[in-house]
Amino acid sequence: MIEETPTFSYYRGAKEPSFATRTELEAAKLFDYHRIAWEYEPRTFILEQDEKGNILEAFTPDFYLPDLDLFIEVTEMKQSLVTAKNRKVRKLREMHPDLRIKLLYRKDFVRMAQKYGL
Amino acid sequence: MAGPPFSLSPSFPSEPRDERLGKVFLDAETIAARVHQLGAEITRDYQGKDLLLISILRGAIFFMADLARAIDLPLQMDFLAISSYTEEHAETGTKAIRFLKDLDQPVKDKNVLIVEDMVDSGLTLHYIMRSLSLRRPRSLEVCTLFDRPHLRLVDVEVRYRGFDVPDDFFVGYGFDYRQSFRNIPFVAYLKLGPDQPTLF
Repeated sequence: MIEETPTFSYYRGAKEPSFATRTELEAAKLFDYHRIAWEYEPRTFILEQDEKGNILEAFTPDFYLPDLDLFIEVTEMKQSLVTAKNRKVRKLREMHPDLRIKLLYRKDFVRMAQKYGL
Repeated sequence: MAGPPFSLSPSFPSEPRDERLGKVFLDAETIAARVHQLGAEITRDYQGKDLLLISILRGAIFFMADLARAIDLPLQMDFLAISSYTEEHAETGTKAIRFLKDLDQPVKDKNVLIVEDMVDSGLTLHYIMRSLSLRRPRSLEVCTLFDRPHLRLVDVEVRYRGFDVPDDFFVGYGFDYRQSFRNIPFVAYLKLGPDQPTLF
């Protein structure tokens, strides 16, 4: 749970977002800075069910950018998290080939730093 | 009495070399050759058309200057500056992107070519293109020196690209580290210490 609560201008969700990681918060700030409308965890996709319809595996991408029709999942450096999220994103793409989703790594923010003159 | 004539050697900057400067990624000759290729492509594509080059201050200034001279057509040049990611608006306190310096001329009915130093996520370029397209140019295209298409979040179409580059920090030929190194005529890796820049 992240304590910092900036004021967002381009958040389009119904309830206040509660970010799980610092990377998620920074992603939200990046979208807001660029005036890109964003939603936080607006939709959960079922990846696997048993024969009785019980949900065995689900995936809730961190962000949805409605104007770009794009889901974004952000992840930390930890290899186990990266591997697990990569697997979920791959499975989601297989089940929904038309759905647009991108995985954003913490290192991507480090790379973008040069673009923003830090 | 005048001193010796100034000459810029390939090894510029001369010793002592800054310890933060890593090995050369692209030498001046390689950059010049690619810029001339891009200039030739643009010359061919814009024959008989007016052309306005728009550069985003400050990273693309050397690329802009060299590219403009490699285009064998009459053209105009203009510049945009955008607010920094860390800078708050003095009145509203927000950090949303905005033009700090707008164009000095209208772009309506003109063939506009945006000249960028680097395109990665495409978010900044998306904002610039969205803003300029509202001014109804005849055409709106992008030329970037460096591209990182694997980092793209927004589908912006880049018509001319100099080099696809890896995820490293570069300095020189307009690229800076805390406003230094821009004037090095080649592109080098930046050696990052514990104070490496990051968004957080």
